[in-house]
Amino acid sequence: MGSDEAYNFVFKVVLIGESGVGKSNLLSRFTKNEFNHDSRTTIGVEFSTRTIQLKSLIIKAQIWDTAGLERYRAITSAYYRGAVGALLVYDITKHLTYESVERWLKELYDHADPHIVVMLVGNKTDLGSERSVPTEDAKDFAEKNGLLFLETSALESTNVETAFQNVLGEIHRKVSSKEVTRGSISAVSLSSPVPRAAGDPEEKKPCCRNL
Amino acid sequence: MEKKPMKENRVRSPQLRSLNSTIICPPSGSSARERVHSVDPYGFERLEDFDYESYEELMSEYLAVLTRRSIRWSKLLQGRGRLEKSIKVKRYVRKGVPNEHRGLIWMSASGAQEHLERNPGYYHSLLDTTKQQHDPKLVDSIRTDLNRTFPDNVQFRKTSSPCLQKTLYNVLLAYGHHNPAVGYCQGMNFIAGYLIIITKDEEKSFWLMDTLLSRILPDYYTPAMLGLKMDQEVLGELVRTKAPVVWQAMGQHNVMWTLVVSRWFICLYIDVLPVETVLRIWDCLFYEGSKILFRVALTLIRNQQAEVQQAGSLPDVCDSFKHMTRGPFVEDCHTFMQKIFTEPGSLSMATITKLRETCRARIIAEES
Repeated sequence: MGSDEAYNFVFKVVLIGESGVGKSNLLSRFTKNEFNHDSRTTIGVEFSTRTIQLKSLIIKAQIWDTAGLERYRAITSAYYRGAVGALLVYDITKHLTYESVERWLKELYDHADPHIVVMLVGNKTDLGSERSVPTEDAKDFAEKNGLLFLETSALESTNVETAFQNVLGEIHRKVSSKEVTRGSISAVSLSSPVPRAAGDPEEKKPCCRNL
Repeated sequence: MEKKPMKENRVRSPQLRSLNSTIICPPSGSSARERVHSVDPYGFERLEDFDYESYEELMSEYLAVLTRRSIRWSKLLQGRGRLEKSIKVKRYVRKGVPNEHRGLIWMSASGAQEHLERNPGYYHSLLDTTKQQHDPKLVDSIRTDLNRTFPDNVQFRKTSSPCLQKTLYNVLLAYGHHNPAVGYCQGMNFIAGYLIIITKDEEKSFWLMDTLLSRILPDYYTPAMLGLKMDQEVLGELVRTKAPVVWQAMGQHNVMWTLVVSRWFICLYIDVLPVETVLRIWDCLFYEGSKILFRVALTLIRNQQAEVQQAGSLPDVCDSFKHMTRGPFVEDCHTFMQKIFTEPGSLSMATITKLRETCRARIIAEES
């Protein structure tokens, strides 16, 4: 069940952003290479994992997805716990979803680790003719706020892999550099082997587990 | 593969058969796959990996139950348009309301019928733009979810005629205007969808929705979602005494209840359990109230205690909660419904009320 493979790190990444921007499809494109035209409204919290190789390391990405409607933030404090990365998604054809990015950012910094790696993601580039958020605007905003930035299409599978890879790579860079001190991101991100609980069946595996 | 043409065929002929006719007069064929419709009696397409063999086997037994219940219910109702509550009726409800009487029994047992009759014309006035400007934010959030409500149900497809999306929109919009403190919350789309499928009537769906949200359930859907948080904690307390190994595992792996059960409460088990099982639960929900939600949760959890206990991590715990809601244990709705009244043991409303008070106070204290 999920913890059968060996890995060096587990990174928890959350997907946030307004309702209907495509969070669930970004998740399924990355973890299963699937896109669902008929996806259902996400209720509660879902997550999926995918293990990727980053240079010589095996990283298990645990991606969490939740409902985008504002009031669901009332129950999602658990959602942010231990997250070391976030994809803040908006829909490039719906300006309102971009306008709320600042609100989401505040929400994120209120609940998550201050060193969390955040990428601003403009999704649905396949609907280019209906674009209402200019790339430059979002890029400037991301730069000013120290966020990574990329435009994606979960439908056409454009940049989805890159987006997640960049976020995971940046997390790894932060964790392994001295930029982040103990008690912050490293505490949640499961750096090298953690002593295992007695009776743990996976004792001999060269991996660490921390969730 | 023969799957593709069958799917196209389904889309072209979306006529629905009643539950009984589906079972009594199945199309002829040599395998269960050919005999059982690929769209269920409520319009849901069966999944690609749907187990037709087991379903047919299960249904051949359940059919006898349904027929017996149907005869009993017809006798009980004898053409009456409503029913008085009694021990006998409660027993009948627990054994399942036949689909042809569901709308009537839900309306009558829950008190929704009374509200409808006392407020003639009210529902339609909520949708009348000459009387009330539609709230654009409400309209937008409802519209975002229209295509995302039961895309696997042929009646909710844009291409179907009539398309239930418009009905769904009306019920949700009317409700949002009727109760601005709640407005629209994701999850309500699925509940309204089920009500529409069963009652086939906008106004009745609206009043059932109102009864559920204002009288049967605590405040699950308000912006603070306090009732939801409260009931999640109440379930935690009940699990502590009724399935202690699960409670321990939750603590050990630091799993908050909201991660594993929020959908159970918000969607009242829609999309969590099989359709037929959900409807049987709702029969009791409308008759007996929200306590039934805990009985279901405890039965599911107790049935999977060993797996939760063995979970080695938070994701494993989450997975084991997903496994609880699948398989023959929940598909056999009749046996499952018998279990929920025996398996968790005694569960009085007084206990629930007291736990709700304690948990609500605790949450408010933690948040302030």
